[in-house]
Formats: sequence, C-alpha cells, structure tokens
Amino acid sequence: MNNSERIDVLQRGEKPDKVPFFPLGGNGFALVSNNYPIVTVYNDFETTLQCYRETAVAYDWLYTPYLAYASMGAWEMGGEIRLPDGEFSQAPSIARHPVNSPEEALSLGLPETVLTGMVPRQVEFYKKVLAEPDDIKAWKVICQIEGVFTFASNMAGGSMFFKWLIRRPDAAHHLLGLAVDFMERLARHLKGLFGTERVLLFSGEPATSNALISPKMFAEFALPHTRELHRRLLDMGYRSIFKHICGEQNLNLEHWGTVPLGSPGFASFGHEVDLERAAAIFPGDILVGNLNPSLIQSGSADEVYRAAEKIIEQGKRLPTGFVFAPGCSLPPQSPPENILAMQRALDDFGWY
Amino acid sequence: MTKKKEIFSRLSEAVLKFEEDDVRAAATEVLDNNIDPTEAILSGLSDGMNRAGELFRLQEYFVPEILLCADAMEEGLKILRPHIQRNAERGEKGTVILGTVEGDIHAIGKNLVKLMLDAGGFKVHDLGESVPLSRFVEEQGRLGADIVAMSALMTTTMMAMKKAVPMLRECDPGVSIMVGGAPLTREIAEKFGADGYASDAVGAVAEAERLMDLRQV
Repeated sequence: MNNSERIDVLQRGEKPDKVPFFPLGGNGFALVSNNYPIVTVYNDFETTLQCYRETAVAYDWLYTPYLAYASMGAWEMGGEIRLPDGEFSQAPSIARHPVNSPEEALSLGLPETVLTGMVPRQVEFYKKVLAEPDDIKAWKVICQIEGVFTFASNMAGGSMFFKWLIRRPDAAHHLLGLAVDFMERLARHLKGLFGTERVLLFSGEPATSNALISPKMFAEFALPHTRELHRRLLDMGYRSIFKHICGEQNLNLEHWGTVPLGSPGFASFGHEVDLERAAAIFPGDILVGNLNPSLIQSGSADEVYRAAEKIIEQGKRLPTGFVFAPGCSLPPQSPPENILAMQRALDDFGWY
Repeated sequence: MTKKKEIFSRLSEAVLKFEEDDVRAAATEVLDNNIDPTEAILSGLSDGMNRAGELFRLQEYFVPEILLCADAMEEGLKILRPHIQRNAERGEKGTVILGTVEGDIHAIGKNLVKLMLDAGGFKVHDLGESVPLSRFVEEQGRLGADIVAMSALMTTTMMAMKKAVPMLRECDPGVSIMVGGAPLTREIAEKFGADGYASDAVGAVAEAERLMDLRQV
C-alpha cells in the first residue's frame, strides 16, 4: 500500500498495513531544508510544491500540501498582516486588526467577496495542487476553513476579544457569527471550484486553548458557532473536516467530541492530549497526532525515535483509525536526523 | 479592622473581581485618608492581582479574567501613582528586562508575565514584541538588569532564545536569564543555557524570586 491508499482504507473504517505520517505544516520544513526562506510558502507555489513533493518522497510522508495560517481573519476582514521575514519568523503575523472596539465589531459586516486577504493566494495554491498527479495525493486538495473562534479573535486581537467574552459577549458573538458566515461562503466558493469529493477541509483552532480560555467560555462561545459551521459544511456535501485541536485543550475535549467532523472526520491533537482518552471521546473519527514539535526540533534523534515509538504503539492499539503526526506544525528548522528518526520509528513499529 | 486595612481589602477584592468603579473609589479613599499610596498598591492592588494569579494557577481564572483584573489594577494605579514620592517607589525585588523574541509578535503571555512580576514587586522594563536580539543586549548593557526574561510562542522563534543566551552572557556574564512560552520546557531552557524557566505567568514570579535568591548567594 502507498500512503494515499492507507488513507482510503482508514476512511473506509479499516486498518491499513502501516500507520501513515501526516506532516502537519510540512511545507515549512520542506522549504527550509532546501535552503528557501519560509516566506516562499506564501509567494512561490511552484517552488513550495516541488520542495514538498521531493521531501514527501524522501521521508515517506503523506503528500498533503495545503496553505493555511493561524492569523486568518484579520486581513480577510479588513485588517493587515505581515508575511514572515527574518531568521526566526514562522508564519504571517497581524499588523492591524480590523476592529478596535465593541461598537466597531457590532457594525462590521461581511466583505463583498470571500476572495479577500490571503484567500486569492490560497485558491491559486489549491489550483496548483489540483494539477498535481492525483495518485500521489491523499486528497485531491486540502483547503483551509479556519476555526471560527480563532478567526473571530484575529479580527479584534486576542486581548480585546478575550475581555469581550466577559464584558461584551454581544460583540464576541457577532464576530463569531461573521466568522461562521464567512467560512460558509468560502466553502461554497471552493465547492464551486473543486467540488466536494476528495476535498479535505483543514481547520485549526489554537485560540480555544485552555492556556487562554476556560471550558465554560469554550462551551458558551466557541462550541455553538463551531457546531453550526460544521453542520453547514457537512450539509454542503463535504465528507471530512480535519480539525487540529491545537495545544492544551484537555478541559475542552468532551465539548469537542460533540462537534461533527464528518464520516469519518480527522481529529488532530497537541502532545498535551492523551490519545486513548481522545479515542473514547471521538469514537467515529480518525485520530491524528501527536509528537511534541519542540522535541522534534530540540531533542536528540534518539529521544525523537523513542517518543515516536510510544505514540505509534499507542495509536496502533486505538479502536479508531490513527495517523501519526506532529502535535502541531512541524518546526521548519527541525534537524533532518530527527525527521529521519520519526520515519525510522514508523518503519520499525508502524506496521499492523 | 482599621480603616486602612478595610480600604486595602476593598482594593484587593475589587481587583480580584475586576470591579473598576470600586477600585477607583477605594483608591480615592486612600488619598482622602492620607494613607501611604505605596502601601496601598502593595497591600491592596498587588494583593488582588496575586490572588487572581493563584486562581489562574488553580484553573479557576483564565486569561480573560486576568486581563480584566489587570485593567482594574491599572485604574487604581492611575490614581495612586502620581502621589508616590520620587525615590520612594515600591520596594523592588529586582529588575527585569522582558520581551517576546525576534520574529514573534505574541503579546498576551508576555504581558501576563509583566503584570505578575510587577504585582510581585519587580521593576519590569518591557521591550515589547518581536524584540531584535541585539536590543535585549543593548538594553542589558544600558540597564544592567538582574534578569532578562524572554518569551516565545512558536517552535521557530524559541530558537532565537538559544542564540540570545550567549549574546547576553558576553555582554553581562552575571545576568540571570529566564525563558518561557508554550513550546518550551525546563529541559529545553537548560539546553539553551538559560538559568530559569516558567510555564506560566504565576510561575514566572516564583522563578524570578528563585533567581534573585541565587544571585544573593
């Protein structure tokens, strides 16, 4: 079986011959290891895809190119971002938020078109992915539909948005409603371009981390809007949503378990979450995870190998399907020997 | 309870419950009753912030509550600060240069550390976000702080800390360096050559105090 076939088998609810590896955010490593700057991800898609393809072959990764970013919401709704530059930047950052007060938030409406902010570049990238040979891809194309709480918090800036959860819940809910409507419109636009068959919707949600908000706030603000969006996406005909439940979200996990992800969906976790507990909460989904990215970047090859072994062995025993992956974006500056150590662990322990 | 203690208690409680009107009223009473504003800050406002920090540690408060407590504390400081005599500022435990490292614009965690260090009696020089490594070094050369504290939220930007540590040591071999942020662990901090590590803002105060104790030895 190749990696694409393994995903097909998992989606049928069966076990493949071997655990596949999903390189979450792997385009950064693919570029940096080929001596290109990170910003290439956002402005040179030919180079990005070429590096990604070669890297995926070299390390036996799933070939899953996508263009997603966690600052989504600011630029798209009228603010500004800054593309990564310099030695240490990893991702775009927000230079100006579109709203600065509850009143501005409440008067904000949807932009005239979803082709705004990063979206036109993303669509261009998706079209290039679509033109790639189909047999090497696990999905025809992977498109970003960002988590609504993160998207909404990016409109106002985290500090202000978090205060509104207590002081101005009306403004917070308004932005969350806009996020749902924007994402639905974007998903409809993408459906018009690519259809829904073998299209995976990728969605991250770092801003709901319990390092930031309580499970009660999650239940009151993030949960109803997320469930509403996912219901609309699945009603549209999309089969699977890949949800990266980013960071420390143990206190939110039961709530997340009530969010429909598709049939099956993909539930991806940070290293903070125990996969056995997650499997009990997401019995119908494929679990993705969750090797600590800091270890991949800063640990020794032996440490990475041993930690990967533990997760792969645990993942294989889960009653759900399992895809091995970093617990968040693969650090672009990871030592290649540590990437190799993960693959060595998969070769040694990943076979069913 | 004396009038003074009663006002301090109200200041503390109002910060804890992020009641800005109550903070302003109690702070005004501090001045009306000729109570030492420095003592009111320490035993009232900072006490409330420290109690909030404890609730944060216990996962009863999260970032939104802490941010609102900080706003309430700031309301009190606006009233009391102008009445603190020069050279009679709060007894400081130490001086800290603080910033999020180059390439990283995340502010919330760093700002919480600033708040808690400030409430904990440290004098904090906040350099802001995405601070060039050379700026940390320049500021340390200029201020000679006891501690340089660096924050990062991403695995990529945390590598800036590894580069910054020897630069800071070359500038000032005696400086204590602490690091924190989501991707870090104590083990990684040690690998980078840092003296201290904290996983959150409350822990940062205890860690800064530990580093200050070591500096006394």
